[in-house]
Amino acid sequence: MGAKIIFYLIAGLMILFSILSVSTTRVIRAAVYLLFVMILMAGFYFFVGYNFLAGVQLMVYSGGIAVLIVIAVLLVHNIDHRMERIPVVEYLWKGGVLLAGAILTILTINQFPFQRIAGTEDVSVSRIGTKLLSLGDGGYVLPFEVISILLLAVMVAAIIIAKGEVYKNEEK
Amino acid sequence: MNNYILMRDEFVLLGIILLLLVAEIMLIGKNRKIVAGIATGMFMVHTVIGFFPLPEGVLFGGSYRTTHLLHNMKNIMNVGVVILLLQTWTWAREEWSGRGRMSEFYLLIFSTLLGMYYMVSSGDFLMFFLGLELASLPIGGLAAYDLSKMRSAEAGAKFILMAGLASAISLFGISMIYGITGSLYFSEVAQNFHLSGLGTIGLLFFISGLAFKISLVPFHFWTPDVYEGAPVPVTSYLSVISKAAAIFALAIVLFLIGREFVSIWKPAIYWMAVLTMTVGNLFALRQKNMKRFLAFSSVAQAGFILLGILSFDQMGMAAVVYFAAIYIFSNLATFGVVQVISLKTGKENMDDYNGLYRTNPKLSLVMLLGLFSLAGIPPVAGFFGKFFLFMSAAAHGYYWLVIIAVINVTISLYYYLLVVRAMFLRKSDTPIEPFQAEMPVKIGLALTVVGILALGLYSPFYDFILNLSTNI
Repeated sequence: MGAKIIFYLIAGLMILFSILSVSTTRVIRAAVYLLFVMILMAGFYFFVGYNFLAGVQLMVYSGGIAVLIVIAVLLVHNIDHRMERIPVVEYLWKGGVLLAGAILTILTINQFPFQRIAGTEDVSVSRIGTKLLSLGDGGYVLPFEVISILLLAVMVAAIIIAKGEVYKNEEK
Repeated sequence: MNNYILMRDEFVLLGIILLLLVAEIMLIGKNRKIVAGIATGMFMVHTVIGFFPLPEGVLFGGSYRTTHLLHNMKNIMNVGVVILLLQTWTWAREEWSGRGRMSEFYLLIFSTLLGMYYMVSSGDFLMFFLGLELASLPIGGLAAYDLSKMRSAEAGAKFILMAGLASAISLFGISMIYGITGSLYFSEVAQNFHLSGLGTIGLLFFISGLAFKISLVPFHFWTPDVYEGAPVPVTSYLSVISKAAAIFALAIVLFLIGREFVSIWKPAIYWMAVLTMTVGNLFALRQKNMKRFLAFSSVAQAGFILLGILSFDQMGMAAVVYFAAIYIFSNLATFGVVQVISLKTGKENMDDYNGLYRTNPKLSLVMLLGLFSLAGIPPVAGFFGKFFLFMSAAAHGYYWLVIIAVINVTISLYYYLLVVRAMFLRKSDTPIEPFQAEMPVKIGLALTVVGILALGLYSPFYDFILNLSTNI
C-alpha cells in the first residue's frame, strides 16, 4: 500500500511538472520545471531498484543537462522575456488529441500480459560494465563506439551553428 | 570468431572522417581549398574499394550484419555521394572556403553516410536507432549551413525538431516491441513477436518514425520548408541519399521482422502509399519554386517505392533497390542543374527557366533526361524502375493500388512537362545567361546522364540485384 502511494505521488508530480514545463510562458521557469521532472525520474528509478540508472539520471540529466539548459537560457535570453500565449481553442483541441492518444496507448499497454524473462533481474553495475564492453551476443561495444562517432559529428554540427560566419578580412 | 574485414566500408569511411579532421587542423592559415580535393579524392578511392567483394556474415553477436545485397546498397549510396560531391565542388570550394567552413561540409556528409551504413547493416534495434540518429542529427547542421540566410537557419531548426520528434516516436515504438519480445535483435524479435494491441501500436510507432525520415504523407510537413530553406547541395543530399538510405532501412527491417505479422503493417504501408503518391503529386502541381517543386516530386516518388515493399518478396526487394538506384541518378541530375543555376545566377523559380534551351542547351538536356526518368518515360531508366515496381505489386494482387499509381504517373507527367515546356518552348526577355560550369561539376552532371541511360538500357543490372535479393 505504501509503495503504491509513493508510486502515484512520484508519477502525479512528474505529470504535473511536465505539463507546467510546456505551458509556462517564461523560459527560465520551463527549464526549472524540467529539472524537477528529471529528479523525479531518478526517484522513480530508485523506487524500482535500478540504482545505477538512477545515479546516471541524477548526475547526467538533473546535474548536467538541466543545469546547462538553465544557464544557457540565462545567457541567451533576458530573463523577462515571455513567450506568446497560446489561444485557448488551440489548447483545447491539441490537448484533446494528445489526451486521446495517451489514453489509447495507456489502455493497450495495460491490456498486455507482460512476462518476466528469466535472467534479466540482475542489473548490478559489474554486469552492466561487462555487457558494455562485451563483443559477443548481447554485448554493447559496437553501439558504445558508434555513439562516440555520433557525438563527434553532432559537436561539429553544433560548432557550425554556434560559431556563425567568419568573413574575409578585406570586407571589414 | 569475429572477422572484422566485414566492416571494411565503415572502417575506411571512418578513417576518411578522422583524416579530414586532422587535415582541417593541420592546414591552418594555408590554402584550405585543398581539403575539397582531398575529401572528394579519398571518397572516390573509398567508392572503388567498396566494389571489391566482401564475405557475408554477422559481427558483435548479431548487432552488425552484412550480405551481398546490403553491401551493394552501400555501393549505390557511395556512387550517389561521389556524384553529389562532384556537383557541389564549386559550391563548397569557392563559396565556403572564404567563409571559413568548408571541410565541415564534407565531414558532416561523411558522418551521416556512416550512420546510413550502420542503419542498413544493423542487426538489432539499438544499432538501427543509433544509425538513424547519426544519419539525421548532423544534417540539421548542414541545413543551417548558410546562417546568413534566415531561411537556412529556419530549415535547420525545423529539421532538428522534426528529427527529434520522429526519433522519439520511433524509440517509443521500439521500447514497446522490446517489452513484448524481450530482445532487441531482429532475429529474436521476429521469433517472439505475437499479435496484440501493444504490438500493433509499437510497430506503427516505429514505422511512423521512419516515415518522417522518408517524408511519407501524412508525415511530410517538414519536407518543403526544409528543402527550400537549406542550401541546394544539402537539399540534394537529403532528398536523394538520405531518403534512399531510409527506404532501404525500412525495407530491410520489414523484411527481417515483418513476416509473421503482415496483417499489421501492410494496410498501413498500403494507405501511406496511396496518400503519398496522390498528395505529393497534387501539391507538386502548384509549386513555382524549383526546390519546392522537386521536394513534392520526391515525396510522390517515395510513394511509388512503397509498392515494392508491399509485395514483400524477392522481386519486390529487387524492384525497391533498382528503383532507388535509378531515383538517385535521376534526382541528382535535376538537382544538379538546379544547383548550378542557383549558384551562378541565384534564380530558383520555374519561370526563370523560360528559354533555358536557347542559352544553355546542354544543361537543359540533362534536366530533360532527369525529368523524363522521374516521370518514367521509356527508354530512360525511370520507366523500367516503375515498371518493375508495378509488376511486383500486381503479382500480389494489388490491382487497385497499381491503377492509382498509374493515374499518379500520368499526373506527374503533366508537371514534369511543365518544366520541359518552360525550358524548350517558352521564351523569356531575361533568360539565364549562357555560362560555363567548372570541370568537376560537368563530370558530375555527365555521370548522372550515363547512369540514367545505362541503367535503363543495360538489363543485367536488374538481374544482378534480383539474384542478390534472395538473401537480405
